[in-house]
Amino acid sequence: MKHQTKLTQEQQQHAAQHQAQQPAAREFANAEELLRYDAAHTPVPPGIAQRLQKSTGDLPGSKPAWWKRLFGGTQP
Amino acid sequence: MAEVPAGLASPEFSSLYVENSRAIYYLALRFLGDPQKAEDATHDVFLKAFRKLDQFRGEASLRTWLYRIAINHCQNLRQGWHERHVFSNADDAVWENAMARTDSPLRVLETKELGQRIQKTLDGLSDEYRLLLLLVADEELSYEAIGMLVGQSPDAVRGKLHRARKAFATLFEKTA
Repeated sequence: MKHQTKLTQEQQQHAAQHQAQQPAAREFANAEELLRYDAAHTPVPPGIAQRLQKSTGDLPGSKPAWWKRLFGGTQP
Repeated sequence: MAEVPAGLASPEFSSLYVENSRAIYYLALRFLGDPQKAEDATHDVFLKAFRKLDQFRGEASLRTWLYRIAINHCQNLRQGWHERHVFSNADDAVWENAMARTDSPLRVLETKELGQRIQKTLDGLSDEYRLLLLLVADEELSYEAIGMLVGQSPDAVRGKLHRARKAFATLFEKTA
């Protein structure tokens, strides 16, 4: 009986460890909730900003007048 | 929110980029299904915005206006190359008898490859359903704004969204 009890304890311990190693299931109410989670974990590649820096810098008159209209003349 | 880029044309353009780049990049990524094309598309969308913001009339939010540019850009790209190679089996009729229930939660055990599963699922949907789901996932957009972007009434958006969710859930289960 003692041996049986020990095995049971080991089994329980093993089961508990196994359970702890299992990733917790995540539930999403619907597709858009899942997509929101995915979007929040999808970083924007830094290369885009670097390319934009070059592209907008290359344009003649790279600070167009609409900034003034849209942002109330806060252009530096 | 994206990291503040140093050296963009102005602080205002930096703000525009910081506040909207994640949304635009994510739409491009999941609509096109290709990280490199999404990166190029996001760059092109913001460059167009930079050049054409004098045409922005303020009838919609800046976010909605950027989405309009992004959707046109991505749809043009897909018409150029994707439609020739990808067959989408999704239309309204296909999903009418789908097994998945829209009120059942989507269960995910492993988030490591979640992006691939999501992409595979979205790739199996029609452009219309894919776009609707991606737009409605942005909490900043109202049904009215989404309707404006896809050329439908808000009620039509709600109806189609119901079927799009169902289609997504059915396909998502199959990718497990």
